[in-house]
Amino acid sequence: MRGSNGVPAPVDLSVRLYIWLLAAYPGRFRAEYGHHMAQVFRDVCRRDYEHGGLPGMTSLWARTSLDLIRTTVEEHIERGLHMNHEKFVRWSGWALMGGAILFAAGQVIGNLDPNRNDPIGGGGASYEIGAIVGLALGQVLFVIGLLGLRAGYAERSGSLGGMALIVSVIGAGLSLAGILMMGVTESELAWQAWAIGLVAMTLGLAIFGVVALRRKVFSRWNFAPLLAAVTLLLPLSGLAGEWVSAVTVAAFSIGLVLVGFRMQAEAGISGEVAA
Amino acid sequence: MAEVARVPDSFLPLTPAVFHILLALADGEKHGYAVMQEVEEMTEGKVQMGPGTLYGSIKRMLAAGLIEESDDRPDPTLDDERRRYYRQTGLGHKVLREETERMAELMALARRKHVLAGIGSRSILT
Repeated sequence: MRGSNGVPAPVDLSVRLYIWLLAAYPGRFRAEYGHHMAQVFRDVCRRDYEHGGLPGMTSLWARTSLDLIRTTVEEHIERGLHMNHEKFVRWSGWALMGGAILFAAGQVIGNLDPNRNDPIGGGGASYEIGAIVGLALGQVLFVIGLLGLRAGYAERSGSLGGMALIVSVIGAGLSLAGILMMGVTESELAWQAWAIGLVAMTLGLAIFGVVALRRKVFSRWNFAPLLAAVTLLLPLSGLAGEWVSAVTVAAFSIGLVLVGFRMQAEAGISGEVAA
Repeated sequence: MAEVARVPDSFLPLTPAVFHILLALADGEKHGYAVMQEVEEMTEGKVQMGPGTLYGSIKRMLAAGLIEESDDRPDPTLDDERRRYYRQTGLGHKVLREETERMAELMALARRKHVLAGIGSRSILT
């Protein structure tokens, strides 16, 4: 029994059915490999029909059905994971930019407080609250942003860069815990947690910045992490004064905004794929 | 994001499908159906990959730089021009060699533990 194109009818029917079933795969995969999969299936169909007749075809369909179900699920899961990863890196880039802006805003609001140098002054409560809220929200976004930086760039940063980003994330988390503790207690521990966390976050970012410069982990602006980190370390080096504070905040924020911009711009251009 | 240069070790252990595809391509470039046939012949029919497994693996191997598409056609007159031919890359070759060494070390360990003693004598008897 032959089909209209000279191909045995069971083979022709099987191939048509298989092509129809290929619709179960994600569109991009189907567009790239669907034709070749159908071609391979046609070849195997012909071979198995010639050697085994209808029982051979039945056996082939049993194997192919299992293969189809398993790989369809695999491809959809892989596509979903890939999309989620991309989205996380992209959104954490925005988070880092938002965190940098809030951090700068918190610092500016704190500096506007006319009573900031008066230990018993009470008139600047709104400035203080504004500064704390800005810093706290900024720190939350830093944690998310740095997690995304680690998720998107750890592999190409090598073991040192990856470890530095972990230190940075832990530091950001510790600093956030310190800020939150400040809201409920005036304990010295809260200030220590905030300061130690900030130093750890900055040092981690500085090491990652060196790695970024050496390995070119971003497509451009690889100086940005180091710009952010080094300027925040300036006050720790003993330099003081209004200008140091202003330059530090501005450069730190600009550095992180540039890093965040690169993250959201580069997410999804080409995924990191494992075999 | 830019492609990451990975060391061969980071791919190990390979999935059976990836290992067999690399092995099938060890002696030259092949198209998908030829890879499938070669794998079936090498394993005496024990490993039969479906088109989904074959091309899912090929997709990941291309992305990881283990194989690449070839523009050359062994004999264009005998073949469908639309078939894609694949060949190992240098990285793919190194990964296959390291995986084979890893399996050989496991085999040696199993031999030292006499894991194969019963199996060996049975195969000699049969």
